Amino acid sequence: MAASHIEFSHVEVAYTKHVTALKDFNFSVAKGEFVFLVGSTGSGKSTILKLISREEQATAGTVSLDGLDLGALHERDVPTHRRRLGIVPQDFGLLPRKRMWEQIGYAMRAVGKTKREVRKGVEQILEAVNIGHRADAFPGELSGGEQQRVAVARALINDPEIILADEPTGNLDPHHSAEIIRLLVELNQKGATVLVATHDVTVVEQFGGRVVTLQGGKIISDEVRNVG
Amino acid sequence: MWDRIEFLFSEAFTALRRNILMSLAAITTSCVALFLTGGVGFAIKGVNEYAATLPSRFEVRVFLKDRVDKDQIRATAEQIREIPGVASAVLLPREAAWQRFKQENPDYPTTGLENPLPDAFNVRLTDVDDIEVVAGQIKKIPTVSPGDGVQFLRREREMLSQAISVLRLVGVALGGMMLITGAILIYNTIRMTIVARRREFRIMRLVGATRATIVVPLLIEGMMHGMAGAILASLMVKGAHQFLANQLESFSGVVRVGPLDFNQVFGVMLTLGLAYGLACSLFAVRGKME
Repeated sequence: MAASHIEFSHVEVAYTKHVTALKDFNFSVAKGEFVFLVGSTGSGKSTILKLISREEQATAGTVSLDGLDLGALHERDVPTHRRRLGIVPQDFGLLPRKRMWEQIGYAMRAVGKTKREVRKGVEQILEAVNIGHRADAFPGELSGGEQQRVAVARALINDPEIILADEPTGNLDPHHSAEIIRLLVELNQKGATVLVATHDVTVVEQFGGRVVTLQGGKIISDEVRNVG
Repeated sequence: MWDRIEFLFSEAFTALRRNILMSLAAITTSCVALFLTGGVGFAIKGVNEYAATLPSRFEVRVFLKDRVDKDQIRATAEQIREIPGVASAVLLPREAAWQRFKQENPDYPTTGLENPLPDAFNVRLTDVDDIEVVAGQIKKIPTVSPGDGVQFLRREREMLSQAISVLRLVGVALGGMMLITGAILIYNTIRMTIVARRREFRIMRLVGATRATIVVPLLIEGMMHGMAGAILASLMVKGAHQFLANQLESFSGVVRVGPLDFNQVFGVMLTLGLAYGLACSLFAVRGKME
């Protein structure tokens, strides 16, 4: 078995005394894996992604990345940690008044890239997700699938080793859903570890791979599904 | 480095543009607050400087009768010096006083006029509380001019002291209230920016932007409010000074408003404004911004 890249050990996330997102949760992901986290709303799949991105912290247990305890990470080190990740939110998170190239450029500038680096990088990144031809469009002029492609593109600005996608197909039709998952698979084939939280069973059945099913904050199955 | 500064400032300007009305409210209130506190500060400084040119509280001016000869003057000086509570008595010869008057009032028609000023003494006291007693004893000296022959500036001093107290009260009370109002407005403007730009901030956080990248433009925004308010307040101080100077000039040629060092006013106001804006915005961005 490959060494753990991401490791959850006896993790518990409790919001209140009676509301618990994860309970004694143990889970690991090897480098370069592609994992689907499936389950209904409130099963804890988004919480797993948020623990990795340090948007949330475990109330008990440890979450580690390459042996580094993410819970012990100082607040000032969180941005550096996040630059190892590419986060794709469910709602695309695009800025309505910015063109597609500006969305990428803005994110790049925010992490300290120079104007020159932005000029060089934006086109390359948009091309990587096959949306270069819509670089001048505003979000309102794009389909949901195209918008999600831009959200994925933005997640790539730091050349991340891990991609976390929270319901990336939640707002898309089946055709565009498949397109986005294919894009994530391509990124995985290039070396990125990919975790996709979804309740879209059709997509999971279409692509297969490692599928972790959650219910009430616990893993009820962890299997590799082959696609016929 | 320059690239980074440009990005941070462009973020601050974007926020200013989006919240233009709130920004204007914050700037005008800061301006009035700084004008009242800073402007009153400069007014107090001016009054203090004017007070320094007046005879000291410990001094009494004694005017002698006309046609008092040198021996009588010498004798009068001795008599004054012998009075308990007198520290010194210095003669102010009438010729010297007339020369000084002509120098200080070049527009006054003195040509052909005979010197109307009497010889006088500048008497210093050891204790200001004895001033009434000492003045009474000096008045009894026969060579001293009857009536207003003994003058001291206690009343003027008291008036100046009252003026400073009133100015200070106005500055502290009104200025303080306006400072608090301005601070609340700047705070609210920054908080509104945080709400208006929450999407940008969320994306920044997700891609790994540092807290400084998110917070510094907000601090710059607050400092710009303070700075703009300070510039306007400096101009208002200058305008008020000019107005006051013109008014006093037209009413009386005696009391003059001293010159205003505008560079000093501008420098002090700008520093105060920047510090004020920074403090308000620091307060607004403290803690988590999610």
